[in-house]
Amino acid sequence: MLDDVHAKFQVDARRRLWIVGGGLFGAFSILGGRLFYLQVMKGGDYRNLAEDNRISLQPISASRGRILDRNGQVMVDNRPDFRLAVIPELTGNFSDLLDRLQPILKLSQKQVDSIYDRVQRQRSFLPLQIKSHLTWQEVSKIESQIHTFPGVTIQVQAIRDYPQGVSAAHLLGYIGEVNDRDERRFPAIHYRSGDFVGKSGMERQFEVQLRGREGVREMEVNATGRQIRQLRQTPPRAGEDLKLTIDLGLQQVAEKALAGKVGSVVIIDPNNGRVLVMANQPSYDPNKFIRGFTAKEWHEIVSDPDRPLGNKAVQGQYPPGSTFKMVVALAAMAEGKLDAKERYYCPGHIIREKHKFYCWKRKGHGQVGLVQALAQSCDVFFYKLAEQVGIDAIERQARRLGLGDTTKIGLNGEKPGLVPSRSWKRAMQGLVWYPGETLITAIGQGYLLATPLQLANMMAAIANGGTVYRPSLVDLGADELPEVLQWGHINTAQMALLKKGLLEVVHGYAGTAKRYKPDSVKAAGKTGTSQVVRHKREDSGKIIKSDNDRHKDHALYVSYAPADPNSEPKLAISIVIEHGGHGSSAAAPIAKELIDYYFSRQNGGEDSSDNS
Amino acid sequence: MTIADKRGYLGLGGESSLSWAERFARFPWSLLAMLVVLASVGFVVLYSATGGGDNLPLLWRQMIRFSAGLCIMLAIGIIGGEKLYRRYAYMFYGISLLLLVAVFFAGTMGMGARRWLSIGGFLLQPSELMKVALVLALARYSHDRAASMRFDSGGVAIPLLMIAVPSIFIMKQPDLGTAIMVISVGVTVMVVSGLSWTLILGSLFIFGASIPVAWNYLYDYQRQRVLTLFFPEQDPLGAGYHIIQSKIAIGSGGVFGKGFMVGSQSRLEFLPERHTDFIFSVLAEEWGFLGGIALLILYGIIIVRTLIIATRASDRFGLLVGVGMTAFFAFQVLVNIGMVIGLLPVVGIPLPFISYGGSSMLTLMMAMGFLCHVSLYSKQHGRSV
Repeated sequence: MLDDVHAKFQVDARRRLWIVGGGLFGAFSILGGRLFYLQVMKGGDYRNLAEDNRISLQPISASRGRILDRNGQVMVDNRPDFRLAVIPELTGNFSDLLDRLQPILKLSQKQVDSIYDRVQRQRSFLPLQIKSHLTWQEVSKIESQIHTFPGVTIQVQAIRDYPQGVSAAHLLGYIGEVNDRDERRFPAIHYRSGDFVGKSGMERQFEVQLRGREGVREMEVNATGRQIRQLRQTPPRAGEDLKLTIDLGLQQVAEKALAGKVGSVVIIDPNNGRVLVMANQPSYDPNKFIRGFTAKEWHEIVSDPDRPLGNKAVQGQYPPGSTFKMVVALAAMAEGKLDAKERYYCPGHIIREKHKFYCWKRKGHGQVGLVQALAQSCDVFFYKLAEQVGIDAIERQARRLGLGDTTKIGLNGEKPGLVPSRSWKRAMQGLVWYPGETLITAIGQGYLLATPLQLANMMAAIANGGTVYRPSLVDLGADELPEVLQWGHINTAQMALLKKGLLEVVHGYAGTAKRYKPDSVKAAGKTGTSQVVRHKREDSGKIIKSDNDRHKDHALYVSYAPADPNSEPKLAISIVIEHGGHGSSAAAPIAKELIDYYFSRQNGGEDSSDNS
Repeated sequence: MTIADKRGYLGLGGESSLSWAERFARFPWSLLAMLVVLASVGFVVLYSATGGGDNLPLLWRQMIRFSAGLCIMLAIGIIGGEKLYRRYAYMFYGISLLLLVAVFFAGTMGMGARRWLSIGGFLLQPSELMKVALVLALARYSHDRAASMRFDSGGVAIPLLMIAVPSIFIMKQPDLGTAIMVISVGVTVMVVSGLSWTLILGSLFIFGASIPVAWNYLYDYQRQRVLTLFFPEQDPLGAGYHIIQSKIAIGSGGVFGKGFMVGSQSRLEFLPERHTDFIFSVLAEEWGFLGGIALLILYGIIIVRTLIIATRASDRFGLLVGVGMTAFFAFQVLVNIGMVIGLLPVVGIPLPFISYGGSSMLTLMMAMGFLCHVSLYSKQHGRSV
């Protein structure tokens, strides 16, 4: 009986046992299926995830290209910056080490607090920055006893250096840490936060070439981020050097001549539009942007009414004053309304619409032709000429010479200036053009505005006989043909007449710049004085001088040299001195100095640009 | 009492006793061989998981434990007479339960749980002993009530209590994983011993319905583990980190694996617990799908072998012991691998004979010893497998 029960049990239990076995087989099959899914079907995905875990990409920065002047003088360079870093886990006693470094580094309490704060938040095998911009003395002191400072390393990193300091600062620009706007500006470059990017000037315009391409080091890291070994490395590609058309020696002479004043000098080679000088004062030291300003320095620089950060050569817009008279003359000749025989009588003023238009010379110039009118800058001559020519022809001629529009030289913030016209006035003010406004325009006042660069380029076109080039800053080699904006459009005889007048300005017995004849070569020029505020006059017409320096007129002078008909002009110059007073006395001497420097150097004189 | 009677009473021979030579001859050496192979695989993986020679003492310790375990397995399998273990089953269960209670009051804390008893400098984990003791006690109970064959309503209550009481103490430690193992093994023994199908299906239904209720009684960390099983991406650096890194390790192994000692996930320490609970991930990363499947097959062969021992048992006790010990072994494999491949919650069950660890290895060896003992006294011994 009991055996029977046992036998029945054995049968039943075996059946149940195989059910359990079947269940286990099913469960193991699920495990196997899951392994198949993870490893065979999704293996590639998980392999990528594992590689992401394992590999950390570290950028290797590419050295940024230098910027050179036309003679190879270094204007922007990189220099090593020494930084002291500590790997906390190697130091033994971190605070003890810091105490021993303190006499050498002389850290402020704030810096020390920051270090202790960071050492707690950062993994102890990663280098911790202690101090950057170490001096040579600090470096040599630490290097000489480096074995007594376990865990201390001196890291070298290239930082941007502007060896010429304030010289050509606006033109060269500066670099700074990247922000959203920079990233939108250069969508092709992948920036990481903390990267430096060209913020202005050439640094910004040629960011892509200067930057090069950074390399990458693939490091194997463990779960805590510690580096185990290097896997692969793509070397960086250094940025290209940029050679400018700037003549650093001439540039620095211009800057020195401008020192203490507010204004700009632009010099262009009339034969190809290459810019030799673009100088502004006041200026700033771009190295400050690399090391950082103090709050006080920054406040001073941005609140200075003379705008030291602005590139006045392209951003400053000034009424061209009498320098615009050449445009009126060219317009009249083109219209057939002016030749060498044409004369107008200047009594000192004319009256139009019950309004007195004065000549700067209260007594008048008498009977004058174009040459004398230019040489003595007779206003009445040009009032009368402008009446004959009309605003439309003047506007056309001004635009042909590149006024009223940006030159697209490639500098950020370039301003277009302003050449007024009937349609412009209607659009802007809803008013018709009054004949009196034509007269004001003829002497470069009223609505007219031009940048120093535009004036220099206009002078270059006149110097070379009428061809307007796009001004350029980058020296692309002798083979690169300059871009022409306007082919020679002026009749040779008419141009010769104009040039005769401009030569008279400097070399004539009554020329407005006769006191500033260069010693080296003959020069042609045109002075200009542009009103900042409308002058009050006595009933007699005498100007009541304002005491406020900021109400003083801007002084302008445009020039080219050599100017004798047999030699080819080499320099076209524009000079603007804000609130400088008369163009003849404030601006013309600078032109003389620059011309003499340039040509005496050419003739084997002292040569400061050849020592690179 | 004669000497022979005494020997019989102690189970050291006596009725239907076998000579020592017979015992050696009948011993399932093939099972032992398979376990040696399995443990050797474990040593290889452990060598890699501990950094390849960086931590040799750890590997030596594991080898010594395995050798000691083999001795225990041989001792349990060979020395005991036919009826010895049946006779002392309840006593073994009682002692284990007492130790569990002692842990509850005087246990040593570690890793947020009270699991160990410190006896003479040794750390004993009574919940591990209980796994084995419960199987023996349940088999004895079923064996004694052979006449009724099926558990009726009154008969179910006692075995259920035998399972429930230790489970509650283990859960209180808290050690959810071991509690679930104890319950699963106990229920499996009951099912095979003839629990009525109505009861089985009925309680399955009740179990399903009671999950929401049980949810309320889980500790926060246990709930978190369950939640992160289903949504590990929710907490990639916290609770989900283990399982995400484990899946990456396994998946990235691909078909052929990355090769011995070159699994990046384990060598670079992305994989947590890589020499204990997550050692299977190391194997799957370095040896790939082929390695993982090979290990599953090895486990499968061992399980089939032990199930065959159970079917050939000479009596009801032997059969149920065979089933229970097999379930104990197999469930640990399933739960551990299911856990590291993201199918089950992370409950902290080691992988049998592969994971580094002492208590688990020794109780598994005890279980294998009891299986060998069943095999020794099986009916159809002539046909070897």
